Amino acid sequence: MLEYIIRRTFQMTIVFFLFLIFSYLLFNAIPGNAFSSLLLNPNLPPDAYQRVLEIYGLDKPLFERTQMYIVNFFKGDFGYSYKYFPKTPIELIAERLPRTLMLFSIVNIVAFYTGFFIGKVLAWRRGSKAETWITVTSVFSYTVFYPWFALMMLWVFGYKLGWLPIGKFLFPEKWYDAPFDSDVVFTSMIKFTVVVSVIQFIAYLVTRGIESLSLRRNLRFGSLLAIFIGSYFYWNNGEALIQKPYASDIAYHMILPVMVVTVVAFAGTALLTRTTMMEVLKEDYILTARAKGISQKRIRDRHAARTALLPVVTSFIFTIVTIIDGSVLTEQIFSWPGMGQLLLQSVLEEDIPVAMATFSFVGVFALIAHLLADVSYSYLDPRIRIKSQG
Amino acid sequence: MSKDVLVVKDLNMHYETLSGDVSAVKNVSFTVKEGESFGLVGESGCGKTSVAMSLLQLQADNAKISSGSIKLDGLEMVGMSESELREVRWDGISIVFQGAMNAWNPVIKVGEQIREAIREHYPDNTKVENTEKIASLFKMVGLDSSIMDRFPHELSGGMKQRAVIALALSCDPKLVIADEPTTALDVVIQDQILKEIKKVQELLGLSLIYISHDIAVIAEMTDKMAVMYAGSIVEKGPTSEIFANPQHSYTQSLLASTPSVVGDKVKLNSLEGEPPSLINQIDGCSFAPRCPNRTTTCHPELDMELVEVGPEHFVDICSANRN
Ligand SMILES: Nc1ncnc2c1ncn2[C@@H]1O[C@H](COP(=O)(O)OP(=O)(O)OP(=O)(O)O)[C@@H](O)[C@H]1O
Ligand SMILES: [Mg+2]
Repeated sequence: MLEYIIRRTFQMTIVFFLFLIFSYLLFNAIPGNAFSSLLLNPNLPPDAYQRVLEIYGLDKPLFERTQMYIVNFFKGDFGYSYKYFPKTPIELIAERLPRTLMLFSIVNIVAFYTGFFIGKVLAWRRGSKAETWITVTSVFSYTVFYPWFALMMLWVFGYKLGWLPIGKFLFPEKWYDAPFDSDVVFTSMIKFTVVVSVIQFIAYLVTRGIESLSLRRNLRFGSLLAIFIGSYFYWNNGEALIQKPYASDIAYHMILPVMVVTVVAFAGTALLTRTTMMEVLKEDYILTARAKGISQKRIRDRHAARTALLPVVTSFIFTIVTIIDGSVLTEQIFSWPGMGQLLLQSVLEEDIPVAMATFSFVGVFALIAHLLADVSYSYLDPRIRIKSQG
Repeated sequence: MSKDVLVVKDLNMHYETLSGDVSAVKNVSFTVKEGESFGLVGESGCGKTSVAMSLLQLQADNAKISSGSIKLDGLEMVGMSESELREVRWDGISIVFQGAMNAWNPVIKVGEQIREAIREHYPDNTKVENTEKIASLFKMVGLDSSIMDRFPHELSGGMKQRAVIALALSCDPKLVIADEPTTALDVVIQDQILKEIKKVQELLGLSLIYISHDIAVIAEMTDKMAVMYAGSIVEKGPTSEIFANPQHSYTQSLLASTPSVVGDKVKLNSLEGEPPSLINQIDGCSFAPRCPNRTTTCHPELDMELVEVGPEHFVDICSANRN
């Protein structure tokens, strides 16, 4: 396995290298540059434009610039933003990333679980009226034109009903006298989510080996309860208590985007789960499981859904990548100042260092997601595990 | 006299299909006693698997049991609720399916799949107890206990089949059904598996229903047997008695179409024609159209009914009346 990962990492490095060159060339193919507007300013001396270009090295030939950029990139030097000069792209990304990560990790988790759950129930309840209707709805949300749908939802929930805020990720007036930056709050929200998931995961691993099913279920329920109680105390004590109103403000702003993206993203998972699971249900081992007297729920989850999971996970990991790209659209619609907006703005303003940095970030993310898909696939399917080890 | 483990009486089951009802099981009655091995033989499509599935109430969604009773240890199984059935399954009746090679879920370890069954019916067992139980089952069917931690695809067909037998025995069932357990295996392995089943059956004093289309295997494996044709039992009785003195024309044809390894070369008698479609209602003797020794004393118009012709030996009225 390790050898396989190393080999893949090597391949990925090459792909990434090519990716860098091509994106750099593409960004430079956009006519004009970030400073073209200086030419139009009559108050500036005529050589000002030339001077600026020299400072940023933009007067050099494209080939040389590409070379320099790549070399510097691997040295960890991403240059400075043209637009927000003293800031580096890394600083900009560091500010934006938690916001995007928070929003989309929640969206992904929610979308995957709802999709998978709905899919398996659909397959299990094959032929019922509910199945037909939910399937039709899923096909609708799978095929709907996303920006239109998002705007409709904004209109309904934000404007007509007025339940949820329209756009932005916080109410600025609430934050005037905030003792800290929104990033701090974001970071601690992410930390909290990660810790909770890790605890949940460990509880799952530990209880896995327990023979008695009822004890196992009770322990898992107990761990969930413990997490709830723990969270309650965490948010009502010390540092977190001060952050709480701000964190809940952000959470409030997240509801609508999470909801909308989930509605759009869950359907693919649900439909795929439904199809693969229906195939699995025809298998002989499902009949064996029934003959063994195992409960319906356990047959559904442990035998059918577990086997149907394989293609679903793979396709899901690939959609994660498109969700990151999709963040450009989502963040624009919901005025969520994250990575997607940063990418869009920097491209429009030809702020090449920032555009390149965000773009490569997305690229790295996509590559890692693909590696993850392969690795998780071989974990989920023991038949593959052997091959990739050898 | 040992007691009756399974009593099936006048069981009728049909499949509802678009082109009409397929009557796959018609007025089937038989009894399996404790420690007895019972054979069910008949050509492909005669309804053997349908009988087996009805016994476990695991028939396909379009299958309906229209009448009859299935009593396991005196407990009526027809009309049981799903949760009652769950308790009876595997603990009361376990089955080795026809396509037993595919009986294993590919992503769960073999041992875990057996453990799961035991856990369901003996929830208070400890992990160690279950592991020991599985290891002893494996030993009984001639498998190494390390197989427990293997995935199904890592086993050969024969190993999978042995493991399936271990699985079927895992909850100490009152009755085991083996539905053509050796079909997908090569002859040598087939023979080994048969011996294994026979050995285990005698060792544990199992009640066994052995289903096969091969009457030679039935001869080897069973104490009593029933011959099925087009959904009905046409002859049943002690295996030795039926082999010595087959009464029904179909049984005679089946026996005549089996080569005997020892003994002289004889011309094999193969049956002409096809079994009747089960969609159509059949009046009288269902075998009449193919019957090679029809005589004027035959009464194919009589409704099928088993009559006793010897000690515990029953045969369909049409053939019974002939002599
Ligand atoms: N789900 C179903 N729907 C409709 N007809 C069915 C269904 N299952 C079986 N049948 C029909 O019922 C009849 C009996 O089938 P069954 O599987 O019990 O035969 P079998 O004796 O086990 O045959 P084999 O030796 O080939 O396994 C066949 O004619 C078959 O076509
Ligand atoms: Mg069959």
